[in-house]
Amino acid sequence: MADASVTVPSINAAPVAPRRPLASRRFALELRQEMAWHRQALILGVSLIIGMGVSAAILVAAGVPANELLNEFVLQTLFDKQSLQAVLFQAAPMILVGIAASMAFRARFWNLGLEGQMIWGAIGATTISFFDVGPAALRLPLMLAMAMALGLLWAMAPTLLKLKLGVNEIISSLMLNYIASNFLLHLVYGAWKDPKDSFPYSPQFRAFERLPEWFGNVSTAAIGLALVVAVLAWWFVGISRAGLYLRFVDANPRMADAVGVPVRRMIFSAVLLSGALSGIAGFVVVAGQEGRLTQAFYAGYGFSGILIAFLARNNPLAATVVAVLVAALFVAGRNLQVFYQIPFSMVQLIQAIVVICVASSDFFIRHRIRSVVSKT
Amino acid sequence: MDVFAIATNWLGNAPDFAVPYALAALGLIVCERSGVLSLGAEGLMLVGALAGIGAQIAFGQPGVSLILAMLAASAVSVLFAVMTILLRVNQVIAGLALVFFCQGLTSLAGTLFGWTNVAVSSVGAIALWPLSALPLVGRLFNQNIVVYLTLPIFIAVVWVLTRTTAGLRLRAVGENPQAADAAGISVTAWRFAAVLAGSALVGLAGAYISVVSTKLWIAGMTGGRGWIAVGLVIFARWSPWKALAGAVLFGCVEALIPQLAAAGVQLPQYFVLMTPYAITLAVMVWVAVARRGADGEPGALGQPYVREERR
Repeated sequence: MADASVTVPSINAAPVAPRRPLASRRFALELRQEMAWHRQALILGVSLIIGMGVSAAILVAAGVPANELLNEFVLQTLFDKQSLQAVLFQAAPMILVGIAASMAFRARFWNLGLEGQMIWGAIGATTISFFDVGPAALRLPLMLAMAMALGLLWAMAPTLLKLKLGVNEIISSLMLNYIASNFLLHLVYGAWKDPKDSFPYSPQFRAFERLPEWFGNVSTAAIGLALVVAVLAWWFVGISRAGLYLRFVDANPRMADAVGVPVRRMIFSAVLLSGALSGIAGFVVVAGQEGRLTQAFYAGYGFSGILIAFLARNNPLAATVVAVLVAALFVAGRNLQVFYQIPFSMVQLIQAIVVICVASSDFFIRHRIRSVVSKT
Repeated sequence: MDVFAIATNWLGNAPDFAVPYALAALGLIVCERSGVLSLGAEGLMLVGALAGIGAQIAFGQPGVSLILAMLAASAVSVLFAVMTILLRVNQVIAGLALVFFCQGLTSLAGTLFGWTNVAVSSVGAIALWPLSALPLVGRLFNQNIVVYLTLPIFIAVVWVLTRTTAGLRLRAVGENPQAADAAGISVTAWRFAAVLAGSALVGLAGAYISVVSTKLWIAGMTGGRGWIAVGLVIFARWSPWKALAGAVLFGCVEALIPQLAAAGVQLPQYFVLMTPYAITLAVMVWVAVARRGADGEPGALGQPYVREERR
């Protein structure tokens, strides 16, 4: 760009001496073309360390003893057999919502309705259980199918509104979350309330309606399902023709349209897939962890899904790894809640700090700041 | 209960529901007219609500509490401004991160400081006699001071936006930052100013809910009102007066619900709680279907300005 300090010599007037010396130091911003991957990794690493440092400082300020932090977060969470199981159990729905978010984001669609779609997935699964649909052997596949179907349908509304009428999907999908959560409350406080006691949840699922415990471990079936979805999603975005189209749409929708990619159909299918995957996440939580429909099982998954997709750059395999880390954070957060009375929203705060640090660090990957000394 | 009493109560309560939407939407319009898409309203309202109640518990002066709440929301929005304006972070991601940052922060701080569920006393209703003695509409003129101040605040902000050089510059930066920059207007400075000023109004909306309306703090008490305000701004096509009309509409609908219940109309409770969100969705669809006339969306909304990337 042209330097603003260059003076245009006047034609009809004698040159006037500048009033101030113009030698000054200023910072110029340049766009980088590309950065070596190891430097990108370094910047990412530094930003993550800053994020964790800030989070640790807040935790210490909130009353967690500093010397307990490492113990609580790393040793207790990842090296204790029971906690590790809890992390893997928690990771299954996280992987699913993370991949769900990344599918929609790949189509440049801000699906913030993950929680609503999860709720409908869970309601779908519970419907099959509540009305005893189908034989016992087919019960779980039916619950899964119903969860996918309702999650998909709930995602269809904002998608159609966006594609047909241009309604902003950020607001519409969020509003649908609130509508879904109130409908859930309507069910668990009303018709579906467990008659055994007065708590707001549905009757407990029977044993064959719960995700099975293979190899004697509670998390195996749930994590297995999530990993199968992750591999299929990786195949879908990395290898299949539709995935290639989707990458075109992600890179530049107008260009994709020009080269003959069915852009609108790709957006439509990607968001519906996102809804179906959120539905599966809802199914995994109710048929796995909870064993019944509860009033707030979905809380926190929406933002976690967005965070996982963002940090994983919409890559399904990276999302799987990030999801396990977020799951560990959830488990650690629950431990903090029990032992130090730290509210669970601390987990939200830490997630937000990490996103802020990583998102901000992108600036240093894309730009170069140079100090320029200009002389006259 | 007779129809007359229901109508009186309904009209009397509507402003209390409308004010948070109106102030938050006005703040968002100030911010978005400068070209910064502000999805963080829900979080900033929570910050305002918590800071307001904290100040009320500490000092007991509603005026001081509301001003401190505005300052607190502005202070938190500096983080958002640095991210979006200086570091050019995607404004959607930055806004979402801000909401969750504020949700976590306020919930944690409310618990640590012991401000949760502490009832405070604050401003009462002021009757504007003789208007307040009128039948039917009398209760409209028996409101708290903030309700009365909302209209002057709107007039002042609209005047600044449309009639002053500052407002012109702010809108120019949001409409065409390249041209504004060429004209010597600092895009960075004006966007910062707009984000901070707009966030102060959003914080005031939050503090109204906690300090003036409910008179206590509960974690997550804004319950999606910030998002509704974001939808309201789209509905109003970035025009403050249409946003005020929308806020009044929402206030009337929300005030009607308890009156219907009091009148013995049996409504399923959770379907009633859905209505603000369903109506937001409905008005957004309506705006999309009936899209006509000038589109008020600022030309550079959501786009970071990068001088080096001249297009």
